[in-house]
Amino acid sequence: MFPRLHFAVCFTAVLGPTLVHTLCPEAVNSSSLIQSLFPGALLNAIMHIFSFRVSDVLVCNETQRVSFWFVVTDPENTSELISGKDVERAVRISRNRINNAFLLTDETLEFLNIPPTLAVPAESGTPPWLIVFGVVIGVVGVGIIALLISSFIQKRRKKGVTEGEEEDCEEEACDKGNGVSHPVEEGADGVNRGFVGDIPFTKL
Amino acid sequence: MEKESRPSWEQPAQFVLACVSYAVGLGNVWRFPYLCQMHGGGGFLIPYLIMLVLEGVPLFYMELAVGQKMRLGSIGAWSAISPYLGGVGIASVVASIYLCLYYNVINAWSFWYLFHSFQEVLPWAECPLNSNHTGYLDECRKATATQYFFYRETLNITSAISDGGGVHVGQALCLLLAWMVVYLCIIRGIASTGKVVYFTATFPYLVLFVYLIRGLTLHGALNGLKYMFTPKLEQLANPTTWINAATQIFYSLGLGFGSLIAFASYNHHNNNFERQAIAVSLINSSTSIFACIVTFSIYGFKATLNYESCLERVKLLLLNTFSLAEDTINVDNITYWITELNKTHPNQFADLLPKLESCDLEAELDTAVEGTGLAFIVYTEAIKNMPLPQLWSVLYFFMLLLLGLGSMLGNVTAVTTPLRDLRFVTHYLSNETTNGLVCLFCLVLGLGFTTRSGNYWLTMFNDYGATFALLLIVLIEIISVCYIYGLEQFAKDIEDMIGHRPNWYWKIVWAIVSPLIIIMLFIFYIINYIMGGTPTYQAWDKDLGQSVTTPYPPYAQAFIILLLVSSIICIPLSALYTYCNRYTDKTDTLPK
Repeated sequence: MFPRLHFAVCFTAVLGPTLVHTLCPEAVNSSSLIQSLFPGALLNAIMHIFSFRVSDVLVCNETQRVSFWFVVTDPENTSELISGKDVERAVRISRNRINNAFLLTDETLEFLNIPPTLAVPAESGTPPWLIVFGVVIGVVGVGIIALLISSFIQKRRKKGVTEGEEEDCEEEACDKGNGVSHPVEEGADGVNRGFVGDIPFTKL
Repeated sequence: MEKESRPSWEQPAQFVLACVSYAVGLGNVWRFPYLCQMHGGGGFLIPYLIMLVLEGVPLFYMELAVGQKMRLGSIGAWSAISPYLGGVGIASVVASIYLCLYYNVINAWSFWYLFHSFQEVLPWAECPLNSNHTGYLDECRKATATQYFFYRETLNITSAISDGGGVHVGQALCLLLAWMVVYLCIIRGIASTGKVVYFTATFPYLVLFVYLIRGLTLHGALNGLKYMFTPKLEQLANPTTWINAATQIFYSLGLGFGSLIAFASYNHHNNNFERQAIAVSLINSSTSIFACIVTFSIYGFKATLNYESCLERVKLLLLNTFSLAEDTINVDNITYWITELNKTHPNQFADLLPKLESCDLEAELDTAVEGTGLAFIVYTEAIKNMPLPQLWSVLYFFMLLLLGLGSMLGNVTAVTTPLRDLRFVTHYLSNETTNGLVCLFCLVLGLGFTTRSGNYWLTMFNDYGATFALLLIVLIEIISVCYIYGLEQFAKDIEDMIGHRPNWYWKIVWAIVSPLIIIMLFIFYIINYIMGGTPTYQAWDKDLGQSVTTPYPPYAQAFIILLLVSSIICIPLSALYTYCNRYTDKTDTLPK
């Protein structure tokens, strides 16, 4: 926020030459004053936007900060004013150009009662977060599938080996207890777990 | 068919890192700094460290000892301590399931924010425009842009818990991703987890360190640090300070969930867990303090920024109203000018008074926030003002993700380990399938938290799902180890494992001090719950643009009671079941 330049558009519903005087009793022919305030090139740019001449713009009611009211007269008939609504619309449409003409921004150049239309941020087709999401979930998915497949392959290989081992069982260390033969199983702490399953059945 | 021996950690370092990764979680980042601020800054460290020594380390040590000795998950381990105590293990598993359900939703949010950081303008930096592009959306104007992004875009939150709302598709997708990542990390049990924890335990420290440097070099950081470290020792007289310190230590170490027992059960029989227990507890607490420093430098930056913009606005207002020259007022002499102008132009100044904001740095720093509000609203606001915000945002949310993921690994392992101990599960289902089914189950139920009112349910689960149950579980654990199993027998087991008995300090703390502290916390929790009246929650009011304290509707209150009771009830039920079983067994063997 900076000290503001005010351009206040006088809303006049009633058009008439007398109104010009009531609104702007000390109205001066704008050319000298405005030209002293703003360089000619810029002024031409503004005037071009409005398609009016410098003399159609009357300046009055100056204040300490650079702020002023202005009314715009019809070029054909200088005693008629252009309605506030039309001027408002023109300002709204060409706001960007007006700002650029003064090398100011929406924050530094304010038209009272004409709120600036904010720029819409550029919207892309796919929201960018979906793209990143897609990449990450793809990588994770591939990782999971790869691990599952490798586990599956490892199990297959192991199965082949253990089937071979079970055939050897008949020759090597096998416990034949309760009529069932199974290889001696050792738990992690060296305890023979072969009988763990049988414990509930043994009654002392 | 050959039974596989119990899997074990490839390196003891994996076990330590797994415990660190589990214990160091989001709470270290978003709860501890809040407590520090609430209870007198640097002074809070005194009760915190005392509680760490009296309660944290001994209980941690005990859980590791039980797990390593019994070499089974929580259900099997406590059944081995005493057949009537299997329920304690079941209660732990239920609490872990509750935690798994909602904790991963927070990770989903981290993912959401992480993915949204890859934009030129961070989406929470500016408010979106209203329909005719003349200004910002109302809700966003009344709140802040970061609050709007969290409550509206991320959660699309409804105004009350009774307002269901549909599932937020973006959240659901992120939750799916979060569970897929968890599955990827636990797919082969600790063979996978052991490798992942090298990264999840260490990377957050790197980010915290980078943030420390960044934070300390931010303008205004020192204000925050000064504020935090100025001890207000009168807070030590407040019993709430000590209660909060004890509670924080308790929950921060993740006791009672069965995760520590599960991790330790994969240890080699002679692993020296005593040193590891002390190390992990100390690392956890130091991380909290470290995160506190980072948080407060960022708080300081944010508060100073807000304070200085406030001063700018006041200066502009004065300049414009009194038509002063540009350079007359600046930050240093603004108070002088205010008094001057009040004297010289009293009428004008009186008109100005309603518009004049009072700018107070202390007030800005006093806005203590915890939890998701701190992580997703306050931090993001600070980040958007840093140079290169996208980079800092990505780093920050990646760190949050790793912290959350590390804790999730522990919680899911606490559920899968007892499952894998059941023989019929191991017989019919492979490791990958069991883990997959657990993840799928939690994902499907967790989708409930991605609905528009999901955040309210999440807060309910967070506040009531595990808090009370854990206190009871750990109390029963310590009492049963000391008095049912026997302290002497326990000491002998430890000597068997690590070669020397625990010294008198441990014995006294286990037998007397820790149980007393937990009983005190327990009583305090019950009193708080009863005296608190109707439980309330913070509902987001989109017309006001802020949170409103709302009481829970009756069915939600009933659900709270269900949550509180459901895990605890397993303990007596299981004891009863075992008793009945034994009784029928005995009658069966009577001679006929």
